[in-house]
Amino acid sequence: MNGVKVDADQRASISDVAVPGVAMSVVVIVYNDEARLSTAVRSVLEQTLRGVEVVIVDDHSTDGSYEVARRLAAEHPDRVRAYRLPENSGGCGAPRNHGILKARGDYVLFLDSDDVLERDACRNFLDAAETTGADLVSGMCVRVHVDSRHRKEVKWYPWLYARTRTLDSIAELPDLLVYDTLSTNKCYRREFLVDSGLDFPVGIHYEDLLFSARAYTAARRITLIPNRVYDWNVAEKAGTKSISNRRAEIANFAHRMEIHRRVDALLAEKGLTELKFRKDVKFLKHDLVLHLRDLPFRDAAYRQEFAALARTYLASIDPAAYDEVEPIHAICAYLLRVSDWDNLLPAVDTLTNRDKVSAPLAERDGRVYWCAEHIDEDPFARRILDVTALGYHARPVGKLFLRNELTEYRHEAGSGAVRLAGRVTNPLGVVPPGARLTAELEFYARRQGVRLQTFRFPVATVRHEGAHVSWGASADLTKGLRPLGIVDAVWDVRLHLDVDGERTTTRLTAARSGLASGEVPVRPRLTRLVADRIEPQVSARGHLAFRLVPDKKANAVVTRGLQGAPGRLAKTGYRKAKALRKKATSGDTKLRIYHELFLRMPVQKRLVVFESHLGRQYSDSPRAIYEEMRRQGLDFEAVWSYTGSPKGFPADATPVRRWSLPYLRALARAEYWIDNQSYPLKLTKRPGTTYIQTWHGSALKRMGFDEPGWKLKSRPEQAEQQRSLDRFDHFLVRSEHDVRTLARAFRLREKALLRVGYPRNDELVRARESAERPPLAAELGIPADKKVLLYAPTFRQHGGRRFELPFDVERFAEEFGDRYVLLVRAHYLNHVVLPPSVRGRVIDVSDHHDVTPLLALADALITDYSSVMFDYALLDRPMLFFPYDYEEYVHTGRGTYFDLLERAPGPVVRTEDELTSLLEESSLEEQTVKYAAERERFVADFGEYDKGTAARDIVEEFFAEWRKA
Amino acid sequence: MTGRDIFLVSNSVDELGGVTSWSHQMARLLTERGHRVHVIGITTPDDPHDLGELPYPTTRLYDGQPPGPGRARDASMRERATVLTGLFRAARPGAVVIVTQVWAMEWVKLADTAGLTVIGMSHESFEASKRSSRFQRVLRHYRDVDRMLVLTREDADLWIGAGLNNASFLPNAVPWLPDEPSPRTGKAVVSIGRLSDEKGVDMLLDTWSEVAPRHPDWALKVYGSGEDEEILRKQCTALGLDDSVVWMGRTGDVPGALRGGSVFALSSRSEGFPLALMEAMAMGVPCAAFDCAPGVHEIVHDGEDGLLAAPGNTGELARKLDLLMSDAGLRERMGEAARENIRRYGAREIAERWEALFAFLER
Repeated sequence: MNGVKVDADQRASISDVAVPGVAMSVVVIVYNDEARLSTAVRSVLEQTLRGVEVVIVDDHSTDGSYEVARRLAAEHPDRVRAYRLPENSGGCGAPRNHGILKARGDYVLFLDSDDVLERDACRNFLDAAETTGADLVSGMCVRVHVDSRHRKEVKWYPWLYARTRTLDSIAELPDLLVYDTLSTNKCYRREFLVDSGLDFPVGIHYEDLLFSARAYTAARRITLIPNRVYDWNVAEKAGTKSISNRRAEIANFAHRMEIHRRVDALLAEKGLTELKFRKDVKFLKHDLVLHLRDLPFRDAAYRQEFAALARTYLASIDPAAYDEVEPIHAICAYLLRVSDWDNLLPAVDTLTNRDKVSAPLAERDGRVYWCAEHIDEDPFARRILDVTALGYHARPVGKLFLRNELTEYRHEAGSGAVRLAGRVTNPLGVVPPGARLTAELEFYARRQGVRLQTFRFPVATVRHEGAHVSWGASADLTKGLRPLGIVDAVWDVRLHLDVDGERTTTRLTAARSGLASGEVPVRPRLTRLVADRIEPQVSARGHLAFRLVPDKKANAVVTRGLQGAPGRLAKTGYRKAKALRKKATSGDTKLRIYHELFLRMPVQKRLVVFESHLGRQYSDSPRAIYEEMRRQGLDFEAVWSYTGSPKGFPADATPVRRWSLPYLRALARAEYWIDNQSYPLKLTKRPGTTYIQTWHGSALKRMGFDEPGWKLKSRPEQAEQQRSLDRFDHFLVRSEHDVRTLARAFRLREKALLRVGYPRNDELVRARESAERPPLAAELGIPADKKVLLYAPTFRQHGGRRFELPFDVERFAEEFGDRYVLLVRAHYLNHVVLPPSVRGRVIDVSDHHDVTPLLALADALITDYSSVMFDYALLDRPMLFFPYDYEEYVHTGRGTYFDLLERAPGPVVRTEDELTSLLEESSLEEQTVKYAAERERFVADFGEYDKGTAARDIVEEFFAEWRKA
Repeated sequence: MTGRDIFLVSNSVDELGGVTSWSHQMARLLTERGHRVHVIGITTPDDPHDLGELPYPTTRLYDGQPPGPGRARDASMRERATVLTGLFRAARPGAVVIVTQVWAMEWVKLADTAGLTVIGMSHESFEASKRSSRFQRVLRHYRDVDRMLVLTREDADLWIGAGLNNASFLPNAVPWLPDEPSPRTGKAVVSIGRLSDEKGVDMLLDTWSEVAPRHPDWALKVYGSGEDEEILRKQCTALGLDDSVVWMGRTGDVPGALRGGSVFALSSRSEGFPLALMEAMAMGVPCAAFDCAPGVHEIVHDGEDGLLAAPGNTGELARKLDLLMSDAGLRERMGEAARENIRRYGAREIAERWEALFAFLER
């Protein structure tokens, strides 16, 4: 082993050197870095804290680093000292250890010669250390990409450093040990280092990991500060790693595994099992991934060696850790463990491209698995490979991002044509065997803003091959691809596959290295001086792309031009044009156009703009009014606002995208606005326009100015809010409860209130009288002998858009599937995934725009706090309340207008078991009888004006004159 | 080291306002401890507040207001900064300049502060700064001071996160610690503060409308005056609370006001390190408050020496008031705990922290 020996006698001599006034010693290590050393040292000498000394340790450089160090020491004799190791140690450990020995300050820091300290770093460290008495203070490190155009900065695990925090043990914050493994962004009490015998391992890479783990576990107190303390200067590595580097890479990986083993041993020795577990989780989702991503581009020999190293270590990972990572991380680790290369290599594609489906998937016993292998013999595999929850099976082909593996790339030298072939994964047979298949290749410039042109090439053959769809095409790039040149050097490729008219878009994955090569002549439109050939390359995400091959000499000339005055001029011109375009389409500009142009145009008589839930749906009372107007054959022009896609909106109305200019023009000129939530707050309504606000539900939760958020607004903000509410000329209410709650909370005038009930509920009042099952039952495939339960919970914010059902849906289907069909309707802002096993017994109806037909269909409703309860009550059918998180919902939120538990017109259950036993023990008929009085009172309290004639009444009041004579 | 030269620079020496009062309180405190304090104001208000006899000198850079922004302002700023330079040059080694408001920093920046320690302060919560133009000005003008001080650790962390790496904190001192607490016998909830939008008395009235019906024998005493008085009185009438709300006007006798009540309510939209809360606690009056700033939960330990509610949640604040009003034992316990706990912000404790900071910044 090379490096410096730390002798026992040297260690004993440490304690005699505390120098008064020197609070901190910064150990600066250097190896062959003469150019940058003085910058690092200067960052220490310029600290705002004055009592700081520098200990430079040179790892026996072969350049002039030591001379620079000695010169610095000579210039600052009382602040800088320079040392040199007798021979090169090849790592950071030995020089740092030497620095610790030579340090005199009360505290020690480490700095690498290519990095710098933030100027307040030492002062902030000292302040924290002396305030809390910590052995170790850690601050935020920032990675500075010195070669990037704007010196890009990336904070190092900023979530650990969001606030000042003191730990009495690392066990309080395992993530600190697991993620922040640097030794350099920290300040150590020198006596703590000495007393704990802390030093760096020598002769092995990743010495920081072990050192920091030992320091964290030895420290009796650790303080974290949010201050930036350390700039880690990152220079981009030139080019990609070559194959010749393979030996070094394997050696690195071996070192990494060895260090992990040592850290694990340390944690085991200290009994820190939770830390070991968190570390296992990180290994699966981070450390392993770093190496897996390169795997498709390595040869078999490398893979074998890598797998052998990784497998041994993976065996020590807690199986429970697999449950804590994303499915694809667990899948890759598992496939590596069993050396299933055929499945692993495509899976790595999903590791890089998160949403991509790269495996054919398999359905077994009502669950969906990543692959068909392993699941029959290994229960662990069954757990890991289960991807039901990802919901791939519920998505149409157009919503899937499918792996498209490039199998052939052929280019005849001298010709302009490239022959391409590949195969698209067909998971769960989403592309049916008899489907009509067509495809085309599309080339587009990677740089946004110059994407003025795309080039398409037909795909000659597309063939269904079971688990794949294979394709082949010949693209004449010389003829068909005309880049501008200079500005659009990189071209990405995608393949659009049309399956029975539905389009799914794929990227071409070059699964092997060296598959695509060779230059193809092209004719850029601007100039051929810089490049007249294009060559294939593989993007960071593993996708095929093309790059104009730069001509070195010509390129230098053009680059100079680009960086010189003419280029600058062109670039600022381009940026100005871009900024102008952005401004022209910005909200402010649109508001101005609305107010200064559109509002000055005359009102267009009989023009009505409809909107439901901010344009997301064709539904609710605006729809009911619209349909009544059509039914009566009124003479008017209808405009419906939509967000996203106009699909599902009526054909006999003009669709306008919300916030588009046609939308704004229609609003400005309309005689009527009919909406259930709000038109954009900043749009003024002219007096000639009448706004009928139907609203979308009675309130349980506090609303409007009864909400804390609204109350907190300043008076001018409240006034602005009120102005937007005062646009309502008419506001529909269903009961005096609405008057006391919504109308008061929105501070509406009494004369704005229309006591007519909700048009959307007319259908429910009618359905109450009818014994017949609506046609929707047949559409959903519900057998006549089964009752329909509708589960409609309210919107929940936490956990993103995905809504976790509060009961086991498979168990539910198992127990009640013979009697009931359960419809699940998530709030329109949430979405659910159901396993295939419950098919036919549990149906996701979340994408039905309109909830009313679902209510009319359901024989009973299960809800928590959703306002559908007020509407469903009109049907006088059983209602079950399942407010499983009542306390949290009521008390941590904004509060409710009444206590649901007291007034619910049906049984209230709080757990899944209670729900199950209620459904087992009591039939719907019994429920109907038992709660009849409660339901009647509930309707009287919350729906007294819902008489089934709301839409007609509104037409009568506002639009009677529009009847055709 | 004792006996430093300390300059306290504020927008004005003699206007009515939280920061100015704080400056004089600090000046007095530091003078008593043997420092040579000099209080400097940039402007002189039209109706200067009479300060009486002061044990330290004061200087005003302008007799009235400086010229409006523009070239004339710039020239006058450079010229007036020389006055500061003169004062700073004459200081002995170890001198400290404390700039209490960022606007004043624009003059201090132009003066020669070589050899002096410069401390910049912001007396409001980070969020409050964030909502105003002061945010960018603090980032710009305080970037190079030796220490930028806010009132709580939490606020300092947020400033650090915003890039101000020299940020730290030092809380305000409670101005007095009375020997006798409030008897806590008066069936009244007390509120003291300007009648302005920021202090949220409108939300207190909403809250009171939920509490009052359950406690017909209690009154809400609202101390203070201000631009919103008329609106608030109208709201009070509209809510039907005229019988139980008493408008007390502005008071010079805060301890007296607190002796007349048993519960203190703070319903502000934003705060820094609220003095009124500290004074109530010093008098042993338990508080129910909106947790509208780090300073609030820094002062009140929720459930131990007072009760906190989510900002704007009047239902919750009503429940907290109700708890205190319904339970004399709880008032007693929390009031005594408050009186004890608030001592950590005693004048001596805070002065010692300042002196320790001066010494630290010299290391």
